[in-house]
Amino acid sequence: MDDSYYYLLVIGGSAMIVNVLLGVAIALFAFVLQTGVGGINRKIVGRLQKRHGPRWYQEYIDIFKLLSKRSVSHGWIFDFGVIMALGGIIGTAMFMPLTSSIVAFENYDNFFIFVYLLAVGMLGMAMSASGSGNPWASIGVMRALTTMLAYEVPFMIVVLTIVNLSGTSSISGIQLFQQAAGNNWYLIALPLGGIVGFIALMGMLGKKPFETYIAPAEIASGPMVEYGGKQLGMLFILHEISVFIEVSLFVHLFLGGATSILEFVVKYFAVYTLANLISNVNGRFKIDQVVKFYYKWPLLMAVTQAIVAIYLGWVI
Amino acid sequence: MMNSISNVEFLNELVNQICKVQKYENISQYQVAYEVDKRDVHRLLSTLKSHGWKQLSYLSAVDWIEENQFEVVYIVFNWDKPVQIQIRCRIDRENPSMDSILPIFPGAKYYEREAHEFFGIAFPGNPDYKKQLILEMWDDIPPLRKDFDPSAYSDRKFTKRDYPTDYAVTSKDNQRLVKREERKRRATALRGGNKQ
Amino acid sequence: MKSTKFTPYTKLSKTETDRKWWEIGDFFRRNSLWLLMYCTGCCAIELPPAMTSAYDMERLGMGPMATPRQADILLVSGYLSLKTLRRLVYTYEQMSEPKYVVALGSCPINGGIYHDSFAVINQLNQYIPVDVYVAGCMPNTEAVMNGFVDLIGLIKSKKANGWKEYHKNNDWFKENQITALGKVVIDDEFHQ
Repeated sequence: MDDSYYYLLVIGGSAMIVNVLLGVAIALFAFVLQTGVGGINRKIVGRLQKRHGPRWYQEYIDIFKLLSKRSVSHGWIFDFGVIMALGGIIGTAMFMPLTSSIVAFENYDNFFIFVYLLAVGMLGMAMSASGSGNPWASIGVMRALTTMLAYEVPFMIVVLTIVNLSGTSSISGIQLFQQAAGNNWYLIALPLGGIVGFIALMGMLGKKPFETYIAPAEIASGPMVEYGGKQLGMLFILHEISVFIEVSLFVHLFLGGATSILEFVVKYFAVYTLANLISNVNGRFKIDQVVKFYYKWPLLMAVTQAIVAIYLGWVI
Repeated sequence: MMNSISNVEFLNELVNQICKVQKYENISQYQVAYEVDKRDVHRLLSTLKSHGWKQLSYLSAVDWIEENQFEVVYIVFNWDKPVQIQIRCRIDRENPSMDSILPIFPGAKYYEREAHEFFGIAFPGNPDYKKQLILEMWDDIPPLRKDFDPSAYSDRKFTKRDYPTDYAVTSKDNQRLVKREERKRRATALRGGNKQ
Repeated sequence: MKSTKFTPYTKLSKTETDRKWWEIGDFFRRNSLWLLMYCTGCCAIELPPAMTSAYDMERLGMGPMATPRQADILLVSGYLSLKTLRRLVYTYEQMSEPKYVVALGSCPINGGIYHDSFAVINQLNQYIPVDVYVAGCMPNTEAVMNGFVDLIGLIKSKKANGWKEYHKNNDWFKENQITALGKVVIDDEFHQ
């Protein structure tokens, strides 16, 4: 009797361990993929500007160089905030499904879990930025939270429409719904919603024209102003993994997810490169222009799309 | 349409009504200079301001060390009748002091601080003309006076890099030296606009 | 030839292991140098062509950064008045190590055309340690790029040790700074 309980515990525990290992592998894959894609994008942008860009593995060298410098600390809140943010983001990345079948934790890849867990990363960075005591950091954090306030509303309306149409809010469930025969990707089925989703994605990534919260020459790079050395390296890793989470959310929700890893990588690369190319030719908005922009046309399009899709039922 | 010849004439009548002009110089169509006594400066400036010369462009001083005098220069500008006016007045060099024009042009606060720092002119009426503006921890006489030697100060405070003389002169003819002396003599003779 | 199965495995001593880690770190450090855009004087006009498409700096891995804490290289471009020198010393001490200093123009070398001025310092080497000088007034942009490539070569051959010298001879540097500046940290109305 005691033996069978012992064996159940071991099997259940080892199944849990396999999931955790798969999640850690997914987080590592996220870091490697995004750093490589970022480097290739820098080269593409360089060629666009009629010069040779950096090497395609330049981002790796940047991060490892930062991790090898001695850094200055401003107290324990400063260090702890960065570690908390990085841990939160790695934890969030562990839940993300890569394809419709590779998922670390089966029933836990709900969309709303990602929305909650992304806030942990932002909160950690805000805490450590205000722990450094520099006024530029507080301005940057305030702007980041205002931008988040702006893009969340149209994005949520579109995603709630998707959840309503698919009948499930699990990300792999939405992928399977789009991959079922006779259903289109949501980018084609809800065209206005797709455009709103892409604009909200550019706000989430912090690409120009919504780059207000980093603003390198204006507020001396915002929240990152007092970081140097190892903490900056951890912040860069945090940025890479959060970009992965946001872009793969877009790929799974609007582009039908993927059935194999190669298809996922191709779609991911296409979305990120398109966002980068658009951001390369734009200037930077002021923070009140960001909020006014998001509450005008994207909100209108999202609401129209919701009414059309749910009440009138006109889905392509 | 006003052309600027009548601007300058208008100005001449105005200024000669107010005070006695010691010297007048018409530099160009858009710039004139008046030298007045130092007690008339305030009256002149406030009348000019009420006639449209509202912008104080510059306030500084010139050091005439042979005549033992400073010359304080005020430059004002009008945007409607475009003439730049230089008001010059001579003050004593031993204890230089000039009443501040802060009530007329409030922006003169920083110009007077700079003039005090670089020439040593006191401006009673300006509450903080002694505060340092540009030179931090200065320890010598005011630097734009003509009896201040900047290269001696620089040699004293900042050491120069000494280059080792590890070369040797190989040729015996000193044609180059002769040519260089000739060039130097010609350049010195041409200085000051003297023709050869 | 001795068989590898029976030759004893020699463990590296601690200094050798540290040196190997440092060499790996040197590879990363010399291939991604970040510049602090501190445009002190006139030679800063040579930086836009070096940064943009004309003589691309990004293919060496270098890029501009906004704050001193994030940067590796302090680029002193041009003459340094006393006021700027004080702020430059603050900035240099805020950077995280290892850090390098590149001086452009002939003003940091021996004073340049301002050598007899009362407000401009003559030799930058006495106040902060300098790794690479690029001579000229002002140097051509190709000379500036050559200076950066020289710095990468110096890091590779482990000769770019300005920051270590600053720690070792800190007293000498501080004494020179106090002779020139009076006091390094001051309060005035713009500092409160």
